[in-house]
Amino acid sequence: MVIDTVVNKPIMDTEANTVVGKPVNDIEIIRKVQGAVTYTDDIELPGMLYGKILRTRYPHAKILNIDVSKAKQLPGVKAVITGRDIPNRRLGILIWDKPALAVDKVRFIGDEVAAVAAVDLETAEEACGLIQIGYEELPAVFDPEEAMKPEAPLIHEDMENYEKLSYARPVLNTNISSKFQLRQGDIDDGFKQSDYVFEDELVIPSVHTAPMEPHICVARVDVSGSITVWSSTQSPYEIRDAIATYLGLPFHKVRIVVPFLGGGFGGKFFIKGELIATLLAQVAKQPVKLVFSREETTVGGGVRHSLNMKIKSGVTKDGKIVVRHCIEIWNTGAYADAGPRVMLRAMQAGGGAYRIPNIQVDALDVYTNNPTAVAYRGFGANQPTWAVETHMDIIAGKLGIDPLKFRMKNALEEGGITPTGQVIHACGLTDCLSVLEEKGRWSELKQTKKIGKGVGISCFHKATNTPTSGAAFVKMNQDGSVEVVVSITDMGQGTTTVLAQIVAQELTISVEKVNVAVPDTQTTPYYTGTTGSRGAFVLGNAVKKAAEAARKQLLEVASELFEIDVDKLDVKDGKVLVKGEPDKTMPFSALPISGGKFVNGIGRPVVGAGYFSSGSKGTVPNFVDMQTPRSSLFWMYGAHLAEVEVDIETGKVKVTRILAVHNVGKALNPLLLDGQVEGGIMMAMGEGLYEAIITDKGVTRNDSFRDYKLTTFTEVPKIERVFIEVPHRDSVFGAIGMGEAVVLGVSAAIGNAVYNAVGARIMELPITAEKVLKALEENARVGTST
Amino acid sequence: MKLPITLKVNGMQQDVLIEPWWTLVRVLREELNLTGVKVGCETGDCGVCTVLVDGEAVKSCLMLAVKADGKEVLTIEGLADDNGDLHPIQQAFVAHYAVQCGFCTSGMILTAKALLDENPIPSEEEIKLAMSGNLCRCTGYVRIVEAIRSVANGK
Repeated sequence: MVIDTVVNKPIMDTEANTVVGKPVNDIEIIRKVQGAVTYTDDIELPGMLYGKILRTRYPHAKILNIDVSKAKQLPGVKAVITGRDIPNRRLGILIWDKPALAVDKVRFIGDEVAAVAAVDLETAEEACGLIQIGYEELPAVFDPEEAMKPEAPLIHEDMENYEKLSYARPVLNTNISSKFQLRQGDIDDGFKQSDYVFEDELVIPSVHTAPMEPHICVARVDVSGSITVWSSTQSPYEIRDAIATYLGLPFHKVRIVVPFLGGGFGGKFFIKGELIATLLAQVAKQPVKLVFSREETTVGGGVRHSLNMKIKSGVTKDGKIVVRHCIEIWNTGAYADAGPRVMLRAMQAGGGAYRIPNIQVDALDVYTNNPTAVAYRGFGANQPTWAVETHMDIIAGKLGIDPLKFRMKNALEEGGITPTGQVIHACGLTDCLSVLEEKGRWSELKQTKKIGKGVGISCFHKATNTPTSGAAFVKMNQDGSVEVVVSITDMGQGTTTVLAQIVAQELTISVEKVNVAVPDTQTTPYYTGTTGSRGAFVLGNAVKKAAEAARKQLLEVASELFEIDVDKLDVKDGKVLVKGEPDKTMPFSALPISGGKFVNGIGRPVVGAGYFSSGSKGTVPNFVDMQTPRSSLFWMYGAHLAEVEVDIETGKVKVTRILAVHNVGKALNPLLLDGQVEGGIMMAMGEGLYEAIITDKGVTRNDSFRDYKLTTFTEVPKIERVFIEVPHRDSVFGAIGMGEAVVLGVSAAIGNAVYNAVGARIMELPITAEKVLKALEENARVGTST
Repeated sequence: MKLPITLKVNGMQQDVLIEPWWTLVRVLREELNLTGVKVGCETGDCGVCTVLVDGEAVKSCLMLAVKADGKEVLTIEGLADDNGDLHPIQQAFVAHYAVQCGFCTSGMILTAKALLDENPIPSEEEIKLAMSGNLCRCTGYVRIVEAIRSVANGK
């Protein structure tokens, strides 16, 4: 089924039983437009202090000595800590390579060396300025290719002794934090069978998630040593486990609460200031609020991996891809963070969303003295998608084949296998590509091309975070309203609303009667973290089961009360009814379901529990060829089309139209999906046209919004979208996530459209006016044109 | 030595003692507990701290609180009417789902109010230009423009 572009008018409430699939508005929007939801910065506690982190200005240096005596003497200072005052343990997601505060050396400009808590921020900042640190500068390395040379300075000398997960594959005594190799078929054979071979090298710089809300947390330690941290994080359970493990505390002594997030986009995954704030609060014996400035959010919070990608493909005369070899060098910066996992997802996506019988990918995640690279919406798929889809267009051009037909001919299909050997289910990629022709008017636009105007396309696939699991409770209150207790963070993506819809439908009540709790590790059950576009899949299943359990309990209470068999009862419109006897009904609110209320001695609380788990069987790669039968719980497929106008005098690119086509399995809420499409496209347009973190010998030159430019109101193109519904058998109602997938194909479609418009092929993002102009001048010099 | 200033905030007179370097956003958030005003960059580039000062949209992270002495300040908390009914711009943001995370929303709505107070029927281009000092990373701006247009057109 294809859902065409329509204008979705938000609805605030819906008829029971028909709520899933409707454009239900964000359940918190009334509070959001009044500035009335609580974000972490709005938390204020009695006696609360303000923390500040002292960050080094050296990219790579030994710490010889630290003198904090002056800082401690400053009136108003309540705690000063350095790496030598705290447990000498490290933090990590896959490689435990990062001390909470630097101990022996610093590894990037912005690395944390000390922290202060004081009665106000000014005092904390002043105290940071009084801390004296003696450094011995070490040779630093910023380019990953340089960092791989034998003579390069080692950034982590002690890698051998670091704790690691099996997913991390470091090469000891080098700066390679992980090395992966994907093998399917035989590339030597493949190149022999090919009529033509094409080779390209593409570069994608670091970018930043740039949420409007910076990283913020508030930590409190009570007299018994129990810790509570309020944090703007996407991963409360990861942070709880990290803090408890670091401090040697049982998990129940550490509680993470997540108020509303002012945007996340992956950058708020894993620990930021939470442990430092906790350590300060322990020393000060007072709560501590720690706010990263905008500049710290960029540099200290982490950027996206830059990628250098070489792609070599062999094809037949008629446009069948026989072989592809990719060499990927990822710059992970000073610490591994999610790096190896980002690269793992990239490996799973292989050389694009194509059936290629012989494929090899060699990928390296390399430490440098740059800011640490972290998770970013799209997680490992963004950079290779741009490179592969640019390369695909170049090949189509050289073969003289239509780029859409070329993609269609090689596209992955239902029942085929992914590059890591997973049988494909819920694909819809060729359907997506067909929409580019029909609604996108691809051929027509190409044929009627005008000077300076162009059209381009791309397609893509993406795996999700697997293995994964999550649980939910559904509690019914005596008045028939419901609390959904889950650990999904609300950062605007709308999953809480979708979960409320599913519960409302299951219990035949209106969405307005459903509240979704904020994540709190003390009460809301485990969830892997709000990443990978899988909230509706994983927690959708969990809340549906929890709601089914609650519904069963309602019927049992009613059965006992009515003295009628459960089989003869049903629920409708928030009431229990006797089948075949329409007059015999009782609203949930009249049933004895609070536990404290009894009718004729009968009553019990109604609390349903449910969970979903992918299990881990078949999800772990073998690391020889990366073949993984269940590498991803589900795959996201889509295709994009872009129309651009290029000013040949200035090189400036104006995007005039984007069509996004995605398989969503089932559109649980088309309104919220529209929001994801619109926002994702504007975010990805930024990556395509403007955004790049510029570092110079480790100094980040554009860490503020003054210099790091996001897309604004004035650049919004015409945005269209089509949702394909090829359902997934394991998800609730067949739905597949897409919040990440929407950022994947935009920059490649724009780049291909720029080439179509003026013949300028840009091999390094972003596609700035300067680069386009330079390419045009080069074309004029050698006498090529389109 | 703190200085006394007097502001009229959301229709109420407020006497506040401030340090001379305090910004207006600090006074609003920390002294007056008006946390609907947000802080995103502290350099005037993102616009999430936008409030109205004597009817003009001002980035309150850039204005020293002393400069607001004697002036009228409107924050998101003062926008709904006395019965608690949402302002038409707030209603339009709801009706058009012009909100995702909500962090930029207060600033967006107040910037839109300043625009519509001065130019009740702006063109789409005028809306985009007037709003372009406010950043949003979630919505892609599409629905915010639609919401403001609907208020301008009275629907």
